[in-house]
Amino acid sequence: MSDTKTPPVIKLRNLKKRFGIGDAEHFAINGIDLTIRRGEFIAIMGPSGCGKTTMMNILGLLDRSFDGDYELDGKPVKGMTRRKQARIRSQQIGFVFQSFNLIPRLNLLENVALPLIYKGITKTKRLEIASNMLRNFHLNEREYYMPHQLSGGQVQRVAIARALVNEPSIILADEPTGNLDSRASHIIMEELSNLHKRGNTIIMVTHNPRLTTYASRVITMLDGQIETDNNLAANPPSRRGRKKDSTKTKGKKK
Amino acid sequence: MRFLLINHVQNAQQSLRSSRIRSTLTMLGVTIGISSITAILALSGGANKIVGDQIDSLGGNIAVIRPGGTIDPLSNITKNQSNHDYATSTLTEADVTTVKSVPNVQMVAPLMVLSGTIRGDSTAPSGSQIVATTPSLADISNLNMREGQFLDNALKKDSVVIGNQLSINLFGTEASTGRILKLRGDDFTVVGVLKRQNNPYNYNSVDFDNAAIVSFAAGKGLNQNITQIQQINIRTDSVSNLDPTVESIQKAVSVNHKGENDFSVLTGNKISQPTSQLFVTIAGGSTAIAAISLLVGGIGIMNIMLVTVAERTREIGIRKALGASNADITWQFLIESLAISVSGGITGYIFGYIVAFTISSFLTFDPVINWQIAAVALTISLIMGTIFGLYPATRAASKDPVESLYQYN
Ligand SMILES: Nc1ncnc2c1ncn2[C@@H]1O[C@H](COP(=O)(O)OP(=O)(O)OP(=O)(O)O)[C@@H](O)[C@H]1O
Ligand SMILES: [Mg+2]
Repeated sequence: MSDTKTPPVIKLRNLKKRFGIGDAEHFAINGIDLTIRRGEFIAIMGPSGCGKTTMMNILGLLDRSFDGDYELDGKPVKGMTRRKQARIRSQQIGFVFQSFNLIPRLNLLENVALPLIYKGITKTKRLEIASNMLRNFHLNEREYYMPHQLSGGQVQRVAIARALVNEPSIILADEPTGNLDSRASHIIMEELSNLHKRGNTIIMVTHNPRLTTYASRVITMLDGQIETDNNLAANPPSRRGRKKDSTKTKGKKK
Repeated sequence: MRFLLINHVQNAQQSLRSSRIRSTLTMLGVTIGISSITAILALSGGANKIVGDQIDSLGGNIAVIRPGGTIDPLSNITKNQSNHDYATSTLTEADVTTVKSVPNVQMVAPLMVLSGTIRGDSTAPSGSQIVATTPSLADISNLNMREGQFLDNALKKDSVVIGNQLSINLFGTEASTGRILKLRGDDFTVVGVLKRQNNPYNYNSVDFDNAAIVSFAAGKGLNQNITQIQQINIRTDSVSNLDPTVESIQKAVSVNHKGENDFSVLTGNKISQPTSQLFVTIAGGSTAIAAISLLVGGIGIMNIMLVTVAERTREIGIRKALGASNADITWQFLIESLAISVSGGITGYIFGYIVAFTISSFLTFDPVINWQIAAVALTISLIMGTIFGLYPATRAASKDPVESLYQYN
């Protein structure tokens, strides 16, 4: 199914994540095998509570306590020091969270410039880059607004601008368009699509099946496991629409 | 790293500015502590300096022997010279004789300071002192007469020279030559009154304006024939001879003391040690205030930083997700607490000088301004910020990123 020409960036083998102990024990991720190659644009779908956010946290090296194997760029994540993981987050990964993305006491410009701090870029340069990034998202005239002065959709756009400001090679976006109308959603999807065309790897969680048209591969999850995995790049574009619709209504075993 | 520090400082500024009242209140403890310390150091430095200046003005050929071993110069600040009333001196009359016979020694004046009632027409206030010494003191310590004469060996044993203020206190006039006064019950005749000195802080630790000066023999008589020498003042015949002479004195007196290191021969700045009772009280009181307010201030910093860390839990999660390492987070919060303590320290330093100059307007000397005091204030502030900021900062850094990100607050 998967494209074999490019090297794997992410490799999961029998990944499990357990919450609670004893009777309360339950697996939010229950045995996932997955290989993601460089340059893929993956859309993850699935019902609420099926473990999407949990998996994104593990993929983004935020959650260190999981069972199974996770190799990033061919190196097992478990053997890395915290400092090394922080450096990978800083240099390779861009994050968009499901909610509460921005730091309330910083203005938009400072929020967007935040990841650049940990890359060691000077303040003037930081603000310049962040300002350009905000312009791409049509928020340049609100640079000095505070997060609470924005609409939910605008907050989400700032969060995406911030995730991209570092020019990460892997972008993890947990419902980046959750609060946006279709026009705003498409602005963001175009931006992600451009990044994808430039060779970046994008992993996006979404509940909106229409947005999967931008993806090269659609994965559906159910109860902590992968239910379907469709590589759209391998299929004719004309079939995409129908396929998405089917994954939305009922799970389809592959 | 250097660059990150700058960034953390900017971040701290911003964060403190956004909660101005809270930061100001937190700074207050440090401010009070540092201002007490600054005031103490500035005033004691001023007192030391004025005494040093006196010694310089006396011609640079003065040495002083005091009982007790050499004192660590750092303890000058907090420790004061032993109180005259209780001190048991290790210096003896034999030492005085020995010193007199050392070559190049021009003049020797032992000081025996006694307390006791001084009564004329009225009774002198308790701060007045009885000093027994030899005629050379007038020359060594530059004591000039308003009227009459200083002690000399031809005078009768019951002669006394009194300070200007003491004369007023006892007889209501500066002109009291010929009057009779009682020292510890014995009658003495005033043979002279000193010019006003206005110099209560001096290397003799005697306020001559409020002193009754008698001959050494008379002093012994007042003290049940026990000698109790607090200090021996020495003048050499020239400045260049001072150092070698001090060495000879050291050796000669050491023989008397059978090699025991229970006295010190001091020159120059080492002589200066303020001993005013008022000063001891102020310094002691403000040291206590300083210690308590620094402790309370430190706990305040820790408390506020813990609150700040709790409030910013989600921010910590976001920052970690965006690439901040644990060290980055530690520095961020540590620098914030340092910003509080150092701002408090700087305010305290300035405020301390305001206090010092206010107090000194009632005294006869000015506070000193030097880099050492600034360095002490800064160092204490930095230590405070570090000690009380480290725990909240490490707590912040050790937070789990996922839990922080999804915490409700
Ligand atoms: N810290 C936690 N402790 C216990 N259980 C947790 C914790 N975090 C998540 N879970 C559980 O793990 C499961 C998966 O949660 P997750 O947040 O990954 O869902 P999701 O697929 O992102 O859902 P949604 O689409 O609503 O965002 C849920 O059943 C949730 O209750
Ligand atoms: Mg989720």
